[in-house]
Amino acid sequence: MLRNTADSWGAPAKLFHWVMAALILAQIALGVMAASWRVSPTKIELFFWHKSTGMLILALVALRLLWRLANPAPLLPPGMARWERAAARMSHLLLYALMIGLPVTGWIVNSASNVPFRIFWLIPLPAIVAPDETTADLVAAVHGGLAALLALVLAAHTGAALRHHFVKRDTVLTRMLPRKTP
Amino acid sequence: MKKILSLLWLCGLLLAGSAPAADWKMDPAGSKLEFIATFEKTPAPGEFKEFDARLRFDPDQPAGGSLDVTIKVTSADMNIPDVNKEIRGKDWFDYAGFPRAEFHSTDLRREGKRYVARGTLTLKGVKQPVEVPFTWTAAGGGAAMEGEFTLKRGAFGIGLGEWKASDTIGADVKVKFKVKLRKG
Repeated sequence: MLRNTADSWGAPAKLFHWVMAALILAQIALGVMAASWRVSPTKIELFFWHKSTGMLILALVALRLLWRLANPAPLLPPGMARWERAAARMSHLLLYALMIGLPVTGWIVNSASNVPFRIFWLIPLPAIVAPDETTADLVAAVHGGLAALLALVLAAHTGAALRHHFVKRDTVLTRMLPRKTP
Repeated sequence: MKKILSLLWLCGLLLAGSAPAADWKMDPAGSKLEFIATFEKTPAPGEFKEFDARLRFDPDQPAGGSLDVTIKVTSADMNIPDVNKEIRGKDWFDYAGFPRAEFHSTDLRREGKRYVARGTLTLKGVKQPVEVPFTWTAAGGGAAMEGEFTLKRGAFGIGLGEWKASDTIGADVKVKFKVKLRKG
């Protein structure tokens, strides 16, 4: 099944979800390590992988959004409270906003700090703002703040998925898992 | 008498043969000395904002000429504030220990359409033989020399300790120059 239905996710949607989940977790670890490492070749390597992964995530989220727009998401299970529906919608919206906002603010920091960079050694990343130390510092702080917000929303997202499965005993979590072949 | 005359004639011939090589001074406004390192295989350009070149040179007869360049190493600018702070240190240029670099050549030759100055570069206290190729363009009363060559940063101890490894910051550094000269 490629396309989503009223009660199931298609394979592409699941692939997007889990590949990006893995990339985002790796990305948070890389970002924290890169920012806190002492100045050394390792720090440069960490930033290189963090920036490359960030641009990969930005490209994937664009494709994912297109796919999502062409495929309505499965319906939420019946019997969810109004606030639960609102929280689900809000957190998904926030996740998408952060999946775009974090790479874009990172891109701004890279441009403002004037560090030459090629994504995975291949594609030169064009500057989107002029070099300026104040801008770089300011947007780096925003980038860090957004990353902390992302960690919170991810915790809520994971907690909610587990609650659906273990407390509410509905299919919200299992329908996102790779389908077992019967 | 005849002997003296022929000696004088010989001297005159020698003088005429070695056409007086002109002395040239650099015009800082139109001159640029760049060094291009690499970060993760991506060019990272820098520049020595202050340097001076003096040249004794006749493009038709480069032999006998000389080139002397002094570089204020502490004027290095890589356009990235964090990197500019880092390169001052002992692991990199060591501003405190070696604020100046020099290149001296008394071996200038024509090689095809271009010229080559073979000489000694003193950088961070290390002397190394270096070949500097350049083109010569006369313009109005002045001239311009331009060229580029590649140095191994490790040969001069630029990047010590863990920075010696060349996978994040490359071993090769391209030096690119454009020097505007006027007779003086």
